[in-house]
Amino acid sequence: MSRYQSTELTIWSRLFLLATFFAVLLPLSAHSTERANYKNWDEVIAAAKGGTVNWFMWGGADNINQYVSEYIGGALKQRYDITLKRIGINDTAEAVNAVLGEKQAGVNDDGSVDLIWINGGNFRTMKQGNLLFCGYHDLLPNNQLVNWQDQSIANDFGLAVDECEVPWNRAQFAFAYDSARTKNPPESIPALIEWAQKNPGEFTYPAATDFNGSVFIRHVFYHAAGGPSSLLGDFDQQKFDAIAPKAWAILNDMKPYLWREGKTYPNSIANLAQLFANREVALYFDYDPAIFGINVENGIFPETTRSFVLEDGTIGNTNYVAIPYNSPNKAAAMVTANFLLSFDAQFEKAKTNVWGAAPAIDIDRLTEDQRNLFAKLPRHPSVIAPSVLSAKALPELHPDWISAIEKGWQYNVAK
Amino acid sequence: MRILPAVMCDLEKELEVKRQRIESGEGLSWLTWFSLILLISWLILPLIPLAVWSISRSWFFPDITPSAYSLRAWSYVFSNTSEVLPALGVTTLIAFCATIVSAVIGVPAGRALGLYQFRGKAAIELLILAPTIVPGIAVALGLHVVFLNIGLAGSYLGVLIVHLIPTLPYMVLVMAGVFANYNPNTEAQARSLGASAIQTFYYVTLPAILPGLLIGSLFTFLVSWSQYILTLLIGGGRVVTLPLLLFNFASAGRNDITGAISMIYILPGVVLLLLGARHLTGRNSAAESLRQI
Repeated sequence: MSRYQSTELTIWSRLFLLATFFAVLLPLSAHSTERANYKNWDEVIAAAKGGTVNWFMWGGADNINQYVSEYIGGALKQRYDITLKRIGINDTAEAVNAVLGEKQAGVNDDGSVDLIWINGGNFRTMKQGNLLFCGYHDLLPNNQLVNWQDQSIANDFGLAVDECEVPWNRAQFAFAYDSARTKNPPESIPALIEWAQKNPGEFTYPAATDFNGSVFIRHVFYHAAGGPSSLLGDFDQQKFDAIAPKAWAILNDMKPYLWREGKTYPNSIANLAQLFANREVALYFDYDPAIFGINVENGIFPETTRSFVLEDGTIGNTNYVAIPYNSPNKAAAMVTANFLLSFDAQFEKAKTNVWGAAPAIDIDRLTEDQRNLFAKLPRHPSVIAPSVLSAKALPELHPDWISAIEKGWQYNVAK
Repeated sequence: MRILPAVMCDLEKELEVKRQRIESGEGLSWLTWFSLILLISWLILPLIPLAVWSISRSWFFPDITPSAYSLRAWSYVFSNTSEVLPALGVTTLIAFCATIVSAVIGVPAGRALGLYQFRGKAAIELLILAPTIVPGIAVALGLHVVFLNIGLAGSYLGVLIVHLIPTLPYMVLVMAGVFANYNPNTEAQARSLGASAIQTFYYVTLPAILPGLLIGSLFTFLVSWSQYILTLLIGGGRVVTLPLLLFNFASAGRNDITGAISMIYILPGVVLLLLGARHLTGRNSAAESLRQI
């Protein structure tokens, strides 16, 4: 589910921008990023006993809510005597905003947020605003299951993680179609352009204000640039100016063949899902392919839904959990983060009837038995095989690139 | 002064004609029926798809009815994970307390505004109206910091207090209207006959203002019931009310769970409307009560 990282210009994002503005204006307090005070893991577990963790996370999926409240919450209570409180939010910015407000008000050790499901722009805001608790990775026993050599884990949307968050899931963009209606879906951007022209009104994408719409536009951008390699790193205006017109031309040429002649775009991925469910459009896509299987199980998508990846690859990211600097239950939050990385929790989460999310841990670092269990996991027929998907993974861009592309789309394509 | 009786006479005649027309049911009746049907369709029609969604498993356009039914949404709503039932309790408690507090503040304030002329009255009326004019979201952020500083953020008390901002105007304005048609001399009469201040309020003032008070309370309850932004910000996720849970699923496009939570969410509105309907339909019942005194 990628809605936790929605970059929609919702009222929340606007509020959040306003809050950021004030936070920058106000002299930042001398409270620098805190380091862990615990000597070893046993001390952390002892301090965590009897604690409560308020975990703020996107709350719009009953299966994820159930996994977190029932499985994770139950295990934490039983194994560590920790009470997990899942707090469902619409947009991660709400949690970031809460911490920011507390910092403004001088609430530096008794905050209301202990853990946030986060990545991308929200992580950047929190890290740069010194709103995170950092430097505790070597304390977590399960940290050794994470391959920190993998740049797509060590960097969250181009920003170094620096022990300020713990990976939880991996996600990679994929397309879905109804195999009963569409026989040969387009498996590359040029094929998609041609397909859209032959099937007018059958394709659309959410506006760039939507997280998933923005990712789709980046795929077109990568195509226009001949691959992502030249776009990695910090934002470069000259490169942008050289590539952007090609990308806008592709999208503008496609426009008359889109759903409702491109006069309007769905404003959220949920709307695109509804259009696909209602058979108004033939293609759907999502940053988290597990959603295809979940939607089929929930009766939203037809049983004949199948998924595919673009020949040139699709963009992937890692999403994490982070502990705010003012959490009063850091030890319990660390135990929670560590448990989320455990084989048990990652394996449970990977089951298709639970969530079907790709693990954030490196399967090769597990025992042979555990590896076999992962290998034997049945795959939902509507969800593309993780191995096929990960073979075509493309890196995510620096947030400055992303916002430049989003703004450019608004100005040059949406108008 | 001399023409006044003549004007009054004309007015009375006109009123008499109107009254006859209404009583005989001619002229206006088709309009009355039309508005009644329109009102009922507005109230009931939007609820039907919600109810159907709550028991559907898949419902694809352009089908009129779902292709598969399931009680999954309801079993989720009643599970411990969803926290819908505790949230129902919290929402009811906060709305109930907000109504009581609004009444305690709103009745004297409405009396002052309705009965007396004083310097700065217009300014005070504007200030009371302000929360209904200024969007709540504009002040919510600043309020959050204030509430954090005084230690009320994230508490039930804090959420209750912040709900008074949008609810008070309704109570005060309704009560001001009631007291504008109220004759305080009846209280003086009661007192002169030996009633205590409490007896006077209970036997004289309260019966006269009761219909207005009920309508004000109905508004107050429902305004508090539907708060989202203020609860979210001041509650900081620790005070979970039904609108917060509802928005989670509505924005995620989960129509089945949204429908099931909505069915629970509209319950108090329907109950209150049925209970209050008697008082809402009576034509100018406040004035009627006064006449009886």
